[in-house]
Amino acid sequence: MQLTIQNLSKTYKNGVKALDHVSLEIGAGMFGLLGPNGAGKSTLMRTVATLQKPDSGDIAFGDINVLKDQLSLRKVLGYLPQEFGVYPNFSAEDLLDYFARLKGVSLKTDRKKLIQEVLEITNLWEVRKKSVSGYSGGMKQRFGIAQVLLNNPKLIIVDEPTAGLDPAERHRFLNVLREIGANHTVIFSTHIVDDVRELCHEIGILNGGKILFRGTPAEGEAALKGKIWMRIIEREDTEDFMKNFKVLSSNYNPDNTLNIRVYSEEQPNETFVPATPNLEDVYFVALKNDTI
Amino acid sequence: MLKTIFSFETKRWFTQPSFYIYFAVFFLIGFLVMASALGYFDAFSVTTTSNTYYNSPLAVNSLINGFSQLLNFIIPTIIGATVYRDYKYNVHSVLYSYPFSKRDYLAGKFLSGLLIAVIISLGIGLAFILASVLPFANQDLMGPFRWWAFVQSYVLFVIPNIFFIGAIIFLLVTLTRNVYIGFIFILILLILQIIIGTLTENMDDKFIAALIEPYGEQALNYVSKYWSIEEQNVNDIPLDNAILLNRAIWVSVGILALVIAYATFSFSQSPLSLLRKKSGERVVKENFQSVFRIKLPVVTYDFSHSQNLKTAFSLSRIEFRSIVKNWIFISIVAVLFLFVIITGYTLGEEILGTKTYPVTWKVLSGISGQFVFFGQILVFLFAGVLIQQAATHRMDLLVNSTPIPNWALLFSKFMALLGMCGVLMLTAIIAGILVQAYYGYYQFEVGVYVKELLGFRMINFLVLIVLALFVQSFFRNYMLGFIVLIVVIMIPLGLNRIGVLPVFHFNSAPGVSYSDMNGFGSFRGHLIWKFYWIFFCSILYALTLLFWRRGILSGVKDRLQTAVSRLHWPVVAPMLIGLAAFVGLGYALYREIAVVQPFYTEQEQEKRLIQYEKQYKKYAGTPQPRISDVRVEMHIFPKERNYQATAYLTLVNKTGQPIDSLILDYGKNLRSVLFDVPSRSVLDDTSMRFRIYRLQSPLLPGDSLQATIRVENPRNTWLADESPVLENGTFINNFSLFPAFGYGESSEIQDNDIRKKYGLKDRERMADPTNREARQNNYISNNGDWINFEATVSTSEDQIAIAPGYLQKEWVENGRKYYHYKMDKPILNFYAFNSARYDVKREKYKDVNLEIYYQKGHEYNLDRMITSLKHSLDYFTENFSPYQHRQVRIVEFPRTAGSFAQSFPNTIPYSEGVGFIAWVDEDKPNAVDYPYSITAHELAHQWWAHQVIGANVKGATLMSESLSEYSSLRVLEQRYGKFQMRKFLKDALDKYLLGRAAEWKSENPLMYNENQQYIHYNKGSLVLYAMSDYLGEKYFNDILKGYIQEVAFQEPPYTTSLEFVEHIRRATPDSLQYLIHDMFETITLYNNKIDKVTSTELPGGKYQVDIEFKVAKYRTDQKGKRVYEDSPGKTLSEGSGKKDVKSLPLADYVEVGVFGEKSKKGNYEYDNEIYLKRYKINKITNKISVIVNEKPAEVGVDPYNKLIDTDSNDNRRGI
Repeated sequence: MQLTIQNLSKTYKNGVKALDHVSLEIGAGMFGLLGPNGAGKSTLMRTVATLQKPDSGDIAFGDINVLKDQLSLRKVLGYLPQEFGVYPNFSAEDLLDYFARLKGVSLKTDRKKLIQEVLEITNLWEVRKKSVSGYSGGMKQRFGIAQVLLNNPKLIIVDEPTAGLDPAERHRFLNVLREIGANHTVIFSTHIVDDVRELCHEIGILNGGKILFRGTPAEGEAALKGKIWMRIIEREDTEDFMKNFKVLSSNYNPDNTLNIRVYSEEQPNETFVPATPNLEDVYFVALKNDTI
Repeated sequence: MLKTIFSFETKRWFTQPSFYIYFAVFFLIGFLVMASALGYFDAFSVTTTSNTYYNSPLAVNSLINGFSQLLNFIIPTIIGATVYRDYKYNVHSVLYSYPFSKRDYLAGKFLSGLLIAVIISLGIGLAFILASVLPFANQDLMGPFRWWAFVQSYVLFVIPNIFFIGAIIFLLVTLTRNVYIGFIFILILLILQIIIGTLTENMDDKFIAALIEPYGEQALNYVSKYWSIEEQNVNDIPLDNAILLNRAIWVSVGILALVIAYATFSFSQSPLSLLRKKSGERVVKENFQSVFRIKLPVVTYDFSHSQNLKTAFSLSRIEFRSIVKNWIFISIVAVLFLFVIITGYTLGEEILGTKTYPVTWKVLSGISGQFVFFGQILVFLFAGVLIQQAATHRMDLLVNSTPIPNWALLFSKFMALLGMCGVLMLTAIIAGILVQAYYGYYQFEVGVYVKELLGFRMINFLVLIVLALFVQSFFRNYMLGFIVLIVVIMIPLGLNRIGVLPVFHFNSAPGVSYSDMNGFGSFRGHLIWKFYWIFFCSILYALTLLFWRRGILSGVKDRLQTAVSRLHWPVVAPMLIGLAAFVGLGYALYREIAVVQPFYTEQEQEKRLIQYEKQYKKYAGTPQPRISDVRVEMHIFPKERNYQATAYLTLVNKTGQPIDSLILDYGKNLRSVLFDVPSRSVLDDTSMRFRIYRLQSPLLPGDSLQATIRVENPRNTWLADESPVLENGTFINNFSLFPAFGYGESSEIQDNDIRKKYGLKDRERMADPTNREARQNNYISNNGDWINFEATVSTSEDQIAIAPGYLQKEWVENGRKYYHYKMDKPILNFYAFNSARYDVKREKYKDVNLEIYYQKGHEYNLDRMITSLKHSLDYFTENFSPYQHRQVRIVEFPRTAGSFAQSFPNTIPYSEGVGFIAWVDEDKPNAVDYPYSITAHELAHQWWAHQVIGANVKGATLMSESLSEYSSLRVLEQRYGKFQMRKFLKDALDKYLLGRAAEWKSENPLMYNENQQYIHYNKGSLVLYAMSDYLGEKYFNDILKGYIQEVAFQEPPYTTSLEFVEHIRRATPDSLQYLIHDMFETITLYNNKIDKVTSTELPGGKYQVDIEFKVAKYRTDQKGKRVYEDSPGKTLSEGSGKKDVKSLPLADYVEVGVFGEKSKKGNYEYDNEIYLKRYKINKITNKISVIVNEKPAEVGVDPYNKLIDTDSNDNRRGI
């Protein structure tokens, strides 16, 4: 099913324009929403998840008018917010049972089967009797995914789920998402480019409430072909280079020199060598273009 | 650093809207209450008048402190949460690494919280000040404005209380990082106060209570409770030891709490836990296997309404569990349980120290109030907790994105709260039954418990739950919602005052009350009212649903739009039905209470009384014939709760002039009036119910006429009964049944401030004893003197109907029972009818038939009552005069009609609430056998009212109530000896002193009392007992005998207190004449006190006791202003400066006693009097030395409290 977002706008009371005429079409599969902190990702996600009203615009998921018929969307929605807590002194099992009821799983036996499955998927089976409020960050995120799966959602929205996870947790988490993403529409927001690269076949880059880029990672990279240049510079020269070139990124080497990547239609000068564009370049180019 | 933290915290508060809301709420409530007390709303309501000033230090303090109790509820969030907040928002991890000391951190936090709480509390004081200086205040209600009053109140009470409560809460919350704990503490403090009150209720000396009661209220009360009106108005709050000590104790407790907080606090990340830490476990991650298939099992998803309902129930179970596991709930239930056990321990001791049997209504009345009160608090609180639960735990986004509909979420919370109330009520039932079982009382009336607690109370809870959910759904901060709810629930009190119809008072209903005789009575009206409010709640419920917070709302507009977008038929239709039902029933109620019959607001009622007086006072002197013969046919229909009665009256012209018009002051029940002489109605004011008949030919002096007056109660409506007939236990007297002849002076407004406002002349409550005209009437009836009486009473077949007189005949006719009663001697125009399903106990004693008509199950004290009747008959016939009747009947009536007994001619209706269920312990020294004494008192009325009846002038009740009280005391003393006397007299003294402190008009000397209960009962019993003690019992009784002989059964003019006191005066020796002046003619109080006592053992096992004591006395005027000078202007004075003691000149006889080790009998200790002598005293400080044969343990000046003494506790002192 296809998620269609049209002209979505939202301005907060403090004047921040969180969404500025955002239009997006997202089909089945993993969609990565990339953007820096404060770009409006969470607002967009919450709005799609029926938890917030936009000032204007429309959202449709298949034939569901999301803003009008919230309940229908919620039936097929799995939402994992950026940050969440749980009732204290509830074991994973009990809490999942609670959510399963909320999500309309009426039969006790069904709930049991389902909970067992999602606990195993998220590798929480061993600790199912433990109180969720005592879980580590990674376990809690996995629990979050477990509850998302309960209603076998068609639309899954996960908001910055990998922030703060250790590499192994992050991997496992992304793999689970990937599995789900095979048959469902998954929107996955992050500010970590690597997450998206590994996972998503389509991405959107959001900043300042606007979609700056929309396409596959390959498309993005292809568009930059021949326009990314790199070289090694001394620390002292950084300011000059920053001033004179469109520097996308700069990374320290152990010897206190820096690798810089620069965007340019042509080779800026002979000291630069061509580089293969990567997704990070796409991201930074999008952001840079927007600010300039 | 301290300063930085302090100012940062304080500034933070000033940016919080909740600070301003709290301040505004307290300011507003304070202002409204004070404004109302000061008569701002007199334009809409009854005139506010008062003997005491509303801005006297005592009054100001009591009001401010009353509101401060409400303030306590927000202390946890203000002072308690200061440190907690840093944890809640996770600031602590950063903050605690900063370089400031623990002391600065804690002190800064605490002091800023304290300051904010104090500022909010100042709102109350400021509101009072504002209300009292604005020009709308009625200046008569105020004394001079005194800053000092406010300063004292704040410095002595409000601020120390905020300090120590705040400190304890600060400690608790800081250690546990749980704001709940602070809230629990406040609730426990509330219950603690009640418990201390109950436990110390029967203490002689409440000094200990004064010290341990945390708010200092008891301490102030300890000092000021007997203050006269004048003292209440003028005195500052005294810096008395009790108060200072109490304050010192509790401020120290606060300091201690802070010290502990300081000592135990550390900048660590984990809170103090009472549970032992589980030993740590090494945790290793095992999450490296990472590629797999997801194959969710196929399950059915059901989004149907029925499934949602099922889900709602299962959610409600989870939420219910979260409540009953919550520490607030657990601690409140636990403390309530404790409360029940403690109050159960002193159950029903309120009547003269004697317990009552733990019958179910008694237990219920002891506990249900507390359970209901705390139930309300819990409902208000948990409605907020539940609504915010998901958000509090930051799980709201997860929950709100699931397909569960809003109505299921709301319904689950509603059910959970209902369940919580159910648990609370069940706890109450169990607690009540346990109390009964503890006393070995096994007649458990589970049905009564269930009906009361799970029936009527639950309906009330249901309404409150919906209200609470509605209000709380608009507040993110549930403490704010809580305070708002408390305010909302208080609004009806104000509406009532300004005369708004009860249809508009939220949750108003007539209420139900239970009696063993009549069960819950007819309660349909109550239920109808409650249904009305339930309909209202259905609207609130729908609104709550419409405005249900789901997801992130960005302001009022968004919320409104969301609500509008939710307006669908499934919500709108029930809401409209609810609205229609609410409006429809509301209109029907309105019609019934305000259209079908006129509805008068309190102010309109006041104006009607004024109008009545202005219009008809001119007929006050119009001569009327007097009733000489009464025959009544009274038909009582208990099932239908109706009556019909016809009175056949003979009216005689006893005046010296012809009477040409008959004036009738009648009630709603009048159906017809017929005279056997031609007459016509010339005036009929159906609104005031005042009618004048003109006789065609005047009734000549000595002539008589017959009147037939038919009355019938107005129809009982679907909403309420209009008749006093009960299904079981009817009790109606003649005044409420039949019209009166002549202008009704008794309905005139007696408050001179109100009279002045409407341009009426001042009046006193009763006429002067020298008033010849007033003496034409006795104080019982203005319409007749001694009448011949007979009555036929009918009732349903299963009941017995009773009227004064001897049973002539009883028969059954048409399935109804008829009784014909007739008196063989004239009686006062004062009779009553009773009907119920009675059991009867009969006994014959010296030709007098003793009968008790009682409710089955109330057999406990029948023998005791019979014995009392016998002893009393003996004592009264021997000491006063022969008994004029051949029977005495005690007739039980339901407690819902009051807890009293009333003596009609040879018939004594006696409430089930007094005596019948008393649990007398004859050996207990501090408890009076009150079924015995009340029975004696009522029988004594057959002499002191039904033989000797005073004129309708001041002092009349001296010869009825005071003498009956005296008579019963003597009978009681004869049976039990002195030990019950002391309790009785001490109780009388206490009630007298409290009574005069609450006098609304003026305190009169005993012989001029105006039917003032604290004077004629309490002071009267003290004075007559003391007088007879000084003169000798026999000697005094002979005076009474002589008096009876002179005035019994006399025709007008009736006797007065002047005559009675003259009898005593004539028989009193010169040396004791001062007693008559002190006790009867003036208000005189002693201040007697033991100063010092030493005891030296003498050879031969004797002891010399040296006693130094003070005797001082003063008189007061009618407002309690003290006078120490006698009429020649002489005064005694001793000491100087602060220790100055003044007294009227003395030539008084005062008892001094010495007591040995208490003698024991069973578990009880009794006074062991080894020396008692009356000394003539003529100076303030006196020293005496006596030699006794036994080891002395205690001495006393006036040790038995025979004299009126404002502080009777210092009359005795141990050695």
